[in-house]
Amino acid sequence: MDAVGGSRRPDVELRLPADSAYASVLRTTTAGLAARLDFTIDDIEDLRIAASEASALMLDQADPGADLLCCYFLDPGRLALRLTVQATTAAPPDQDGFAWQVLSTLASEVDSEVGDGRLTIALAMQPEPVTDGG
Amino acid sequence: MTSSGLGPRGPEETRRRTAELFARLGGTRAGGEVGDPAARDELVTLHLPLVEHAARRFRDRGEPHDDLVQVGTIGLINAIDRFDPERGVEFSTFATPTIVGEIQRHFRDRSRAIRLPRRVHELQTAIAAATGDLTQALGRSPTPRELAEVVGCSVEEIVEGLESRLRSTTFSLHTPTDEAALARSDGSLEHVEIRESVRPLLESLEPRDRRIVVMRFFKNMTQSQIAAELGVSQMQVSRLLTRTLDQLRSSWQEPG
Repeated sequence: MDAVGGSRRPDVELRLPADSAYASVLRTTTAGLAARLDFTIDDIEDLRIAASEASALMLDQADPGADLLCCYFLDPGRLALRLTVQATTAAPPDQDGFAWQVLSTLASEVDSEVGDGRLTIALAMQPEPVTDGG
Repeated sequence: MTSSGLGPRGPEETRRRTAELFARLGGTRAGGEVGDPAARDELVTLHLPLVEHAARRFRDRGEPHDDLVQVGTIGLINAIDRFDPERGVEFSTFATPTIVGEIQRHFRDRSRAIRLPRRVHELQTAIAAATGDLTQALGRSPTPRELAEVVGCSVEEIVEGLESRLRSTTFSLHTPTDEAALARSDGSLEHVEIRESVRPLLESLEPRDRRIVVMRFFKNMTQSQIAAELGVSQMQVSRLLTRTLDQLRSSWQEPG
């Protein structure tokens, strides 16, 4: 999990039922936090898409009735997100697949981990510092 | 379906009575002249079960049943005024779509009033204008803070505004200009490095959708750059990407 700082305490945590009905809550929260960090509209929309993509990958493998735990790590100009779900029979996401291509294009760093009956996907976005237009 | 509160009345009886009443009503009702107001009233009463039935179809939407009946009754009256018995169509067949339409319109008006108050609508327009201006001035897409300064509202309001713009259906992706711009753009997979495993998936997309996906994920263009190249708004690019990815996701999950 290089994308997200190991044992650091998350700045924001969100626990949701691992159900696609809650995907919009994840998207909205992610967009709201990115706005607070002064990300551009482009980056915010990219993050919104990345959050959907990552959660879709996770929900696919989640155990029935599992929770999706979303931990956010916020720094100036950088947002990192770690998604973890209980997934006993999880396989690591296919890194040659399209979903992974989408994630790695949208985020500056992407990482996944399988173990202890859990699946974790971490991603970070650290855009170029915005130049002040005036 | 046509059992009414007035006591048991078979469909045959209702049909006969309806024909009688329309005959008394006369032929030029749409013009405003009502031959026999009592006949019109009785027609309304006779066919109120149609309204009741239609209203029940919407009972889970959180509106009081009586309100829906009231709105549906307006539809019924409109149907009575427009019905032409000469056409040989059953009145209930003719009236039901009008009644249901009136109830649906009621919901549309309600939901628009709830989700898009005038203020939000104005805010969206202001955000769209400011996004265009700032993108040009800055050479990149603006941040919500920069938008908030120009528009004169809070960062939170900008974020909310973006959200509702994304969901809003008022910005269609399929206006003729978009189609033309998208048709001009280059979505070919010829000169792009794409893994063999991914290629069939991309080839399954509509050419128009594929172009935007290729530009974003394989040519690494930003949403704003794509928007500028295609002459559409960044929000439209965002919406199209989201939709296409949703579609791809459901297709690749099928094989398990």
